Amino acid sequence: MSANSAFVRQASAILAKDLKTEWRAREVFTSMFVFTVLVVVVFQFTIGSNPALIREVAAGVLWVALLFATVIGLQRAVQMEGEEDCLQGVLLAVQDRSALFLAKALANMIYLVVVSGCILPLFALWFRVDLTASLPALGVILGLGIVGLSVLGTLFSLIVLNIRMREVMLPLLFLPVSVPLLIAAVYATDDLIDGRTLAGVRDYLILMGVFDVVFLVLALLIFDYVVEE
Amino acid sequence: MAGREKVGRPVNLWPGWYAALTYVAMVAALWCIFVYAPTEKAQGIVQRIFYFHVSSAMTMFVAFFVVFVASIVFLWKHGDWWDQTAMSAAELGVLFCTLVLITGPIWGRPIWGVWWTWDPTLTLTLVLWLIYVAYLMLRADATDARRARFAAILGIVGFIDVPLIRWSIEKWRNLHPEPVVIQAGGTTGLPPAMMLTFLVSLAAFLLLFLFLLRQRMAIARRRYELEALRQKVDEALFG
Repeated sequence: MSANSAFVRQASAILAKDLKTEWRAREVFTSMFVFTVLVVVVFQFTIGSNPALIREVAAGVLWVALLFATVIGLQRAVQMEGEEDCLQGVLLAVQDRSALFLAKALANMIYLVVVSGCILPLFALWFRVDLTASLPALGVILGLGIVGLSVLGTLFSLIVLNIRMREVMLPLLFLPVSVPLLIAAVYATDDLIDGRTLAGVRDYLILMGVFDVVFLVLALLIFDYVVEE
Repeated sequence: MAGREKVGRPVNLWPGWYAALTYVAMVAALWCIFVYAPTEKAQGIVQRIFYFHVSSAMTMFVAFFVVFVASIVFLWKHGDWWDQTAMSAAELGVLFCTLVLITGPIWGRPIWGVWWTWDPTLTLTLVLWLIYVAYLMLRADATDARRARFAAILGIVGFIDVPLIRWSIEKWRNLHPEPVVIQAGGTTGLPPAMMLTFLVSLAAFLLLFLFLLRQRMAIARRRYELEALRQKVDEALFG
């Protein structure tokens, strides 16, 4: 068995374990989804009833909701790993620790994809934006954004796993560093809602792609130091 | 009692001449800024804050770059010295960043008419401040080896994020003045007297930074020693 396929096998085994646990408990997804709905609704109350204003802030609200959902989901996932030193057991089992990182990041991406799939119809309904025409383009932006949020969030969530005040430290570390991704995602989504095509938001897409690649490579390079004992 | 004497030795400061040099540079900078430099025609007296503002900003970037390099070497070579360097430079970086954020609005209010605007440079500075304050919070327990490693990772991630932040907010409206110190083609937009004043104050800020860095590192080293001694006492007492 080559090292490469062992890596894939181990990563997919951890991913399958996480997804199976989640399928049985549905804890991470439920908290993420309910929280996202709450953010969108609470924002509705603060914006007022001016339709033009609602439309203008719609993209921002969507991404703030997804950003917070990432934090909530990772906090729950980390809490579960922290109980009874589960992570230590997994670390003993894998040869290449980046497999663990990749599996965790992929799990988070899957949760986020499902959450955004569920929230988009509600979002379109409450914010009165027609997304049917721009749905494929929106999918590309969501995909790039979700990859970046998951990679960076997973890295930081495994950092705070073992320190005091981890519930507070995760957003404190994660939010400022994710600023570039958030800005690009919000403006790209905003332009799409205004009727532009993917080609019209090319700059933002490149920025998000660079962000994803840079932090994915960096995370894989330095992940060993995160879990080193 | 050789061991005791070693512990009681005063913290090793930089030679006196370095402190004297820093002092002279700072006084010279003050003299240049308030006496020697001509008053700018359009902006008036308030323009003199430029020498503090831009010098602080450059010192801040030097400090965060030191954090970045020291963090990489620390993860690679595992020397406590590198960790102490990174932590001390991060603290000073936040200090100079705070100075930038304070002097900026004081200058901006009379010139732009607003205390704050979300222009790329201001936003970048504020986000950097948030990242490195988080770094310091992560480091709150300075002698924990694991936190040192985590902080090093944040030191690397944070610095790599800088160009991305800059790039992402560049699309916003741009109120901040174009760089005048070094312009395209290597020319400068500053008259000679102002340029000299700026260089003197930049030198003073950098000397002060190195001086404080050295002092801060001496304190950090003391804390490590103290922690090691505590552990020794614990072992002797409780086995």
